[in-house]
Amino acid sequence: MHHSVELRDVHVRFGTIRILSGVSIEAKPCEFISIVGANGTGKTTLLKVINGTLRPFHGRVSVLGYDLSRYRSLNFLRREIGIVPQRSNSIQFPLRVEEAVLMGRYGKIGLVHRPKKEDWNKAFEIMEAVGIKPFCKKLVHELSGGEQQKVALARALAQEPLILLLDEPTTYLDHSAQSEIMEVIHTLHHQRELTTVMVSHDAQLVDQYSDKIYLLREGRSSLIKSN
Amino acid sequence: MEMNWIEILNFPFMRHALVAILFAGTAFPLIGVFIISLNLIPLRFAMMHIALLGGAIGLFFKVDPLLLGLLCCILSSMALGPLSEKMKLGVGILSGYFMTLTLALAFILIYKADIHVLEAFTILWGNILSLTILDLIIIGLISLMVLAKVFLFFKEIQAILYDREIAMGVGLPEKGFYYMIIFMLGLTIAVSMRMIGALLIDAFVLLPAMAATLISRSLKQTFFFSSLFGLLSGLAGLILSFFLDIPTSSMIILVASSIIAGCFLFKRLLPHEEKLS
Repeated sequence: MHHSVELRDVHVRFGTIRILSGVSIEAKPCEFISIVGANGTGKTTLLKVINGTLRPFHGRVSVLGYDLSRYRSLNFLRREIGIVPQRSNSIQFPLRVEEAVLMGRYGKIGLVHRPKKEDWNKAFEIMEAVGIKPFCKKLVHELSGGEQQKVALARALAQEPLILLLDEPTTYLDHSAQSEIMEVIHTLHHQRELTTVMVSHDAQLVDQYSDKIYLLREGRSSLIKSN
Repeated sequence: MEMNWIEILNFPFMRHALVAILFAGTAFPLIGVFIISLNLIPLRFAMMHIALLGGAIGLFFKVDPLLLGLLCCILSSMALGPLSEKMKLGVGILSGYFMTLTLALAFILIYKADIHVLEAFTILWGNILSLTILDLIIIGLISLMVLAKVFLFFKEIQAILYDREIAMGVGLPEKGFYYMIIFMLGLTIAVSMRMIGALLIDAFVLLPAMAATLISRSLKQTFFFSSLFGLLSGLAGLILSFFLDIPTSSMIILVASSIIAGCFLFKRLLPHEEKLS
C-alpha cells in the first residue's frame, strides 16, 4: 500500500533563502497528521509542496502514489486534494455561500460543462454536515471569520477529495470557534476516510486529533508523536 | 430643424455608432468586471501607453498609427501574463514598468522623427462618429468573442475572479484562463481606443462595471447589469449628444457617471436584505 503523502529529504528555497532543508514526512491513507512549528518555519510552504504549487529543488514528493516531479501539470491531482487556507478570502466579491461551496466541484465538473443537480446536491449535503446550510444564500464576505472558515472547509470537502490539507484553519478564531471547527474537521475526517495533513503553531490544539505530529524547526522535520 | 431620434439614423455615421454601441456597450463592460475584480487598473493604463508607442512607431515608419497601436496592444497583452509569471512579478507592477518605458520610447520616436505631438496623440482621442465598416466588423467580432467566453467559461471565470489560488486548488487550469482574461482585456482596450479614445475608455469598460458592482449580489447579476448599463449609457449618450450638440464620448461618460450615482443612492437607500437578492 502506497502512502497518501510522502516527502523525502525535500529542500525548498526562495532565491538564496532556504525555507525547507531536508523535510521528510509521510501520511498513510486515512491518517490525520499534524505539522507544528513557530511562524515562518515553512509550514505553509510544505502544504504548497504537497499540492504541487511549489516544486522543491531537491527531494522526492509523492502524493497518492504519483511522483510529482514527473508531471508538468498537476491539475488532475489537485482535484483529489482539498485545501483550506489560513484565512478565507474576505474581499467584497458577490459570491453566495452555496456558490462558494459548489466551487469545490468545478475541477471535477470539467471545462465548459455546467454544474448538474448531483453537484448541487453534494454541495448542500456538505453544507448540512458542516453546519452552514441555514445561511447558504448569504454572501461569503458578510459572514464571521469562523463561518467563513467553515465555508472554506465545505468547499474543500465538496471536492470529495482523498487528501485534505489544512493551513492553520483556526488561527483567527476565538477559543470556542476553534474547538467547534476542529470537532467538525475530526468528524468528517473519519466519516469520509480522508488523509488529513494539518499545519498549526499550536501543538496542544492538534494533539488530541492527530495520529502523528511532526515538528518543523529551522527547515527540518522531526517526528514527535506517533500512535 | 426639428428631428426625432429615428431620423438621426438616416446619417450613416450615426448608424455605425449605434451598431458599435450595441456590440461594445454589451460586451466591453464585462471586461470592466475583470479589471475591478483582479485589480488590473495599472494594466489598462499600460495598454494606453503601449498604444501610444504603437502610434508613434506607425507615424515614424509612415504606417497607419491606429493599426500599429492595435497590434502593439495585442502583442503585449499576449506577453504580459506569461512574462509576469516568469519574472515572478505581479501584472500590476509589470504594467507600471511598461507604462513608463513605452511612454519614454514613444517620446524619443516623436522627437527624432520630428512628428507633431498632437498627431501622435490622435490615437488617444478616437471618435465614435467616424467608424468604418471594417471597424464595426472588428468591434463585432471582439464583442462576440468576449460574450462567448464569459458564457462558456462562467464557472472558471467566477473562480478566478474570486480567488486565483482557490481556482488552482480545485484543479482548474487557472494560469491559462488568467492569461486569456489579460489577452481579452488588451484586445478590448485597443479596440475601445479606436472607438472612443484611450482617455474615454472608462465610459464603456469601467464605469458600467463599477455601477453594477454597487448593486449586485452575484457575479451573474454583475455581468448582466454591467452590460445593461453599458448599453444604456451608450445609447442615451449617443442620442443626447446629437440633440444637445455635445461631444458624444463626453455625453456617454456623463450618462454612465449618472448611473453610478443612481446605483450608489440605490445601495444607500434600500435596506440590506431588500437588495436584488
